[in-house]
Amino acid sequence: MMEVCGSSNVSLREFGCEQSLLSRPDGSASFIQGDTSVLAGVYGPAEVKVSKEIYDRATLEVLVQPKVGLPSVRERSQEQCVRETCEASLLSSLHPRSSLTLILQVLHDDGSLLSCFLNAACMALMDAGLPMSCLFCGVTCAIHADGQIITDPTAAQEKESRALMTFAIDSTEHKVLMSSTKGSFSVHELQQCIAVSQKASEKIFQFYRDSVRRRYSKTL
Amino acid sequence: MFSCLKHKVGEVLLPGDEFSFQPEDTISLTDTVKPEKVICGPGLRRSGDRLLVSKSGVLRTKQPNMFWVDSQQKRYVPAKGETVIGIVTVKSGDVFKVDCGGSEQASLSYLAFEGATKRNRPNVQVGDLVFSQFVIANKDMEPELVCVDSSGRANGMGVFGGGGLLFRVSLGLIRRLLAPQSPLRAELQQLFPHELVIGMNGRLWVKASSVQQTLIIANLLESCENMTAEQRRQLFRRAAQGAL
Amino acid sequence: MAAGFKTAEPLEYHRSFLKENCRPDGRDLSEFRATTLNIGSISTADGSALVKVGNTTVICGIKAELANPTVEAPGKGYIVPNVDLPPLCSSRFRPGPPGEQAQAASQFIADVIESSELIHTEDLCIERGKLCWVLYCDIMCLDYDGNLLDACVIALLGALKNTQLPEVTINTETSGPEVNLEKRHGLQIHKHPVGASFCVFDDSILIVDPTAEEECLSTAQLTVVTDEEGRLCSVHKPGGTSLSAEKLQEFICRATARQKEIQKLIDKVIHSVKTAQ
Repeated sequence: MMEVCGSSNVSLREFGCEQSLLSRPDGSASFIQGDTSVLAGVYGPAEVKVSKEIYDRATLEVLVQPKVGLPSVRERSQEQCVRETCEASLLSSLHPRSSLTLILQVLHDDGSLLSCFLNAACMALMDAGLPMSCLFCGVTCAIHADGQIITDPTAAQEKESRALMTFAIDSTEHKVLMSSTKGSFSVHELQQCIAVSQKASEKIFQFYRDSVRRRYSKTL
Repeated sequence: MFSCLKHKVGEVLLPGDEFSFQPEDTISLTDTVKPEKVICGPGLRRSGDRLLVSKSGVLRTKQPNMFWVDSQQKRYVPAKGETVIGIVTVKSGDVFKVDCGGSEQASLSYLAFEGATKRNRPNVQVGDLVFSQFVIANKDMEPELVCVDSSGRANGMGVFGGGGLLFRVSLGLIRRLLAPQSPLRAELQQLFPHELVIGMNGRLWVKASSVQQTLIIANLLESCENMTAEQRRQLFRRAAQGAL
Repeated sequence: MAAGFKTAEPLEYHRSFLKENCRPDGRDLSEFRATTLNIGSISTADGSALVKVGNTTVICGIKAELANPTVEAPGKGYIVPNVDLPPLCSSRFRPGPPGEQAQAASQFIADVIESSELIHTEDLCIERGKLCWVLYCDIMCLDYDGNLLDACVIALLGALKNTQLPEVTINTETSGPEVNLEKRHGLQIHKHPVGASFCVFDDSILIVDPTAEEECLSTAQLTVVTDEEGRLCSVHKPGGTSLSAEKLQEFICRATARQKEIQKLIDKVIHSVKTAQ
């Protein structure tokens, strides 16, 4: 089920995605961006602990598991970003008083990890068949010292860069759902990066469509 | 609207795709203008004058105007009128709690069995399997099961007898099995005589004359999840010849 | 009547105010709450500041310790920020290990320090590969009423401005450090990053400096950190409803204005502390 996302003017690395590869979770997906690879699993809607129950919508929990060691403060902040992005696109009011758990396991980190998390999360939620109002994707942009914008940078490119931004873009209006930045940059550079990300997002959504189509090809 | 939905039948849709109710460009003078009515099934959602897709899957239709998205989902969400295989987990007073694979345990009254009265309680133990139907299933209320139909008859529902094997398959396979004139069911019937109970919640219960035959049927069903019709026929042919 | 309405339909209650372009506490949509700053409130710390943004109260204490530089960066010291949300500040926080919000805030502050380069970590090095300063920036929330991140950034900046490090010399004979507590000097602050937080109501109405109640009811939150040159150090939006580029531009303009206000406030407070001494 692996496939490749070609690159033209906005250059992204080779993408790969496989859905429902795990048997236990209700939805699962692995997402590969170049050498960065993340495995996502979704459980739910399942029974919820009384202390975490929300009367009018589902409780979403996101757990990020690093490749080695225990999750630290950095993972917590990534969890928050992924969770709030998913909450915005999920129609969680259709499953009140239930719990959704999303687990993101890093398999290999070679840059653009947060955007890979978001992409894997979206594919896993879709695989679980949870109702969503729109899709989302993550795009990381690095601004090089000479002002050049690189989309989907590798870890080495991230290190050399002056600023690093990750955006989550929604599929209906192509607006910014989430933004997380590092380094300092001008307003103009920010707007440029958003525009580039929006362009890149169209490619990623097309990739989503192709991989879902492939998955359903046997039941067409 | 109707035509654009028709146009997409059999295609893969993703959440966020939308259809808009647009009046026809040309109005026919001879035909009487009938308001278009569309019945939306799972995966489709109305928002104002638009129709939004909320699940990924293949758009299906049924005459005259029903549309839904067929997705390969594993987790069961209770729906009214569906029959499921549940496992009794708790016996508390007048109700049993039944695990049916959804987010909440369903309740089953001891009076909701054929011939049950306050004196004559049905013999149900914790751990028993029950084949039952949802009478209440919505997002805001606790789901409720019954083992009788509207006329008070069991109609095939109730506690399972001994023996047999319970296993889980995807919800998509269940729907394929339950489809009228399902080729899968017909092929299975030709193999050995067996009993098969299909719960809409993804649980299957099989009983054949021997344990071996039961296991063969269970394994066949589990393996035909991701097979084309041709692959499946080959597999069944081999099973019929006793190759498995 | 009003109290009952507020409890039963908090969202409708806020909407009815927002329709009239004002908020339940009488503020304009783009008005910050009164911000007060007190510098040097903890006498035992090397630097400290207490910030109040409306009811939200945050205190920051800085403790400088001597340590060995890391092997990867022998010429640099380091800064360790930590945000604590004790049960004292709001009923939504439970005792025990820090929750997600506290950890996310700590990470945000660490990112701001790194991105803005407000202190060059080279300045904290005393002797290359041997000795450097570690600045532990402990930020504690005393009263939580929304807009925690803005208050934390101001408190951190105020405390760092107030920090006086003692002079350290290395004794050539024993090669041990000698601390001269009498002679102290301030830190060099290169940039003045200031945050401005916003909330989005009903996917369209923007309000600045949200209270805790408004944060709960809003559909998205955004924090923009700018420095005095108008460069952005962080555009932090952890999720929620989507925003267009034009809306973002509006936020950034407001954030740059806020930066100027806060920098003026910090300068004024520091000046008044100096004249008092």
